[in-house]
Amino acid sequence: MTTGEPRTLDELTLGDSLTLQELVDSTALSEMAMGFYDLFRVPLRIFSESGQLLGDAAPQPGLHAYLAEFSAGRTALNETVAAVKSADPGADGEAGVSCFTGAQYHVVAISYDGRRLGRMVLGPFLAASLKVLPDALQTVIPEGDDGKAKELLSKMSRARPETVSQIARHLKSTLDLILFSGHKALLTSNMHLASVRESFRELQDKNDKLQEAYDRLKELDRLKSNFLATVSHELRTPLTSIIGYSEMLSEGIAGDMTDEQTEFVRTIHEKGEQLLELISSLLDLSKLESGTLQMRRLEVNIGGVIKDVVATLTPTAIKKNVRLKQEVGDDLPSLSADGPRLRQVLVNLTENAIKFTPANGVVVVSAKATEMDSDGDGGHVLFATMTAAVEMRVADSGIGIPDAEKTKIFDAFYQIDSSSTREAQGTGLGLSIVKRLVDGHGGTVKVEDNQPEGAVIVVTIPRKAATVVD
Amino acid sequence: MQLDFTARELTIKLVYYGPALSGKTTNLQALHAAADPGSSGRLMTLETKDDRTLFFDLLPLTFKGKGDLSVRLKVFTVPGQVIHGATRRLVVQGADGVAFIADSQNAETQHNAEAFLDLRENLKANGFSLSQMPLIIQFNKRDMQDVRTDEELGKLASQGKEPVYLAVATWGDGVVESFMGLLKLTWDALDSQHRLADKFGLESNEFMQEVASQLGMGDRSMDNIFDAAVGGKQKVLNPGVSK
Repeated sequence: MTTGEPRTLDELTLGDSLTLQELVDSTALSEMAMGFYDLFRVPLRIFSESGQLLGDAAPQPGLHAYLAEFSAGRTALNETVAAVKSADPGADGEAGVSCFTGAQYHVVAISYDGRRLGRMVLGPFLAASLKVLPDALQTVIPEGDDGKAKELLSKMSRARPETVSQIARHLKSTLDLILFSGHKALLTSNMHLASVRESFRELQDKNDKLQEAYDRLKELDRLKSNFLATVSHELRTPLTSIIGYSEMLSEGIAGDMTDEQTEFVRTIHEKGEQLLELISSLLDLSKLESGTLQMRRLEVNIGGVIKDVVATLTPTAIKKNVRLKQEVGDDLPSLSADGPRLRQVLVNLTENAIKFTPANGVVVVSAKATEMDSDGDGGHVLFATMTAAVEMRVADSGIGIPDAEKTKIFDAFYQIDSSSTREAQGTGLGLSIVKRLVDGHGGTVKVEDNQPEGAVIVVTIPRKAATVVD
Repeated sequence: MQLDFTARELTIKLVYYGPALSGKTTNLQALHAAADPGSSGRLMTLETKDDRTLFFDLLPLTFKGKGDLSVRLKVFTVPGQVIHGATRRLVVQGADGVAFIADSQNAETQHNAEAFLDLRENLKANGFSLSQMPLIIQFNKRDMQDVRTDEELGKLASQGKEPVYLAVATWGDGVVESFMGLLKLTWDALDSQHRLADKFGLESNEFMQEVASQLGMGDRSMDNIFDAAVGGKQKVLNPGVSK
């Protein structure tokens, strides 16, 4: 077993590698031993199989302290300690050791699951029946004060050896319960660890597989975008001819036509233009998706862009009998952005707004200085200059957008009303292009409800290209 | 299997597998009750308050044959619940033999089959093949209503290769017989692999007899005990035949 590495189930249940140290807490064991000492007045020490002292409730008897003052006394005491250490109680038995002082030691094996894990030493104690002190005491330290030694000896714990055996058995059964509980807890925690590791490994496997699948899908998506770009490009070339020639025909360049013929040709021309628009949108989208569209950010006067967009789309609004207004303050700061792309964003949004606003409705395009939303995490004073942004709002008085649809409308080809009989025309690409263009600027786009009815698309673009808000 | 040459000690790991609630823990409890207190340790059940058997039960049994080899049998159960897949895989690691405890109730047939496939997968994940694993199947809960009939099980068992036992673990019926059948198969497999009899002078019959007497079946003959299996008997009585 290497330290720090949790042990395997097999090591913990099959092998013989269990130690007393890992099953019991040394401090708590000392407390328990102390409790036994208080109760029976028999000193007690508990050792691991490797000889480490784990529980100590054996204050040094006064006699031993006195004997240790003499060199011969120390030697004789050390001999006793060595005898106690080498006493072999067997796998699950007991052994007795007698000291020259007349004191006795009782060495008892601590075993668990048929294996010895350590030993406990009870003693020194004097047999309760002992009346006369052994001569050895006088022989070993003739220079000692016999009276004092005798007095100290009389203070030593006294017990009947049978009682000590009984105490030892009681202690053993208590320890056995503690060891069993300790083993169980050790197994449980190791099993928990092993289970968690195993589950983690399983999850890791699954994650790897998911990542693989994700990478493959991303690659497929890239291929799809490439395909879309190629096809759009290839479609545009012949379409240009169709539009050009139909326009020339309708203008009578190739000769006069009947009114009906002219109308047919105009229809061809009109539908051709629609198709071209769709293909251009697709091309834009695929470029945006494949990340090949480069943003060229320059200082842009957003007020000017809005005026231009409103002027461009006013005829469309008039045709639908929708009022198109702009609300731009004079103090609007400039912003670093790709001007034509930003214009495209506003055109798409405004066109959409007009499209979904009924006659006599109103569409308002506005802009104001704001800050990027930092999720209310605080630190305003640190980020204020970096989060400065411009917010553009396109509000309409149309049917509005249900809550459930508010995030979906930015998906490519998504139409709230996807029935073939829907009133409004469109490819379903406008908003997804807006979303990608805004993303390209590091900005955000969201939908809010307009009051009393309709929807507001809110686009927020940071004023500087690099921002700490992602 | 773990072999400690210096201590001359052999540890064999037996695993009780099966669907949730099929009576694996009850089998161990009955086995524990039957065992001589001197030879068996405490039955350790690792569980939490929301699961009956979270991790496993562990029953240590120690036997000493005529040779100087002592044999420790560690009997484990695995949690049957689906969520403990990882634990089942860990517990079944290093198993020397498997007792599959099936639920006799008709309604549990599907769960039995699923658990068996799960066992196969988990052995495979540990690099073992079920076909090489000493295995017995016990149909437990014979006392319940709406169970698969003796005739049906007997017929199916006779077609299969592993011994099949019928049991009511709550009464202790068939528990020791199933265990003895599993131990015999496992011992013979380990013996042929590690030549235990040659190395340690511990003969199969002698060992089985010793275990039987410690499990309170000393008065029955081995043949009588092994005869409890309703199928695949050949393999238990005469392992040489199937090899």
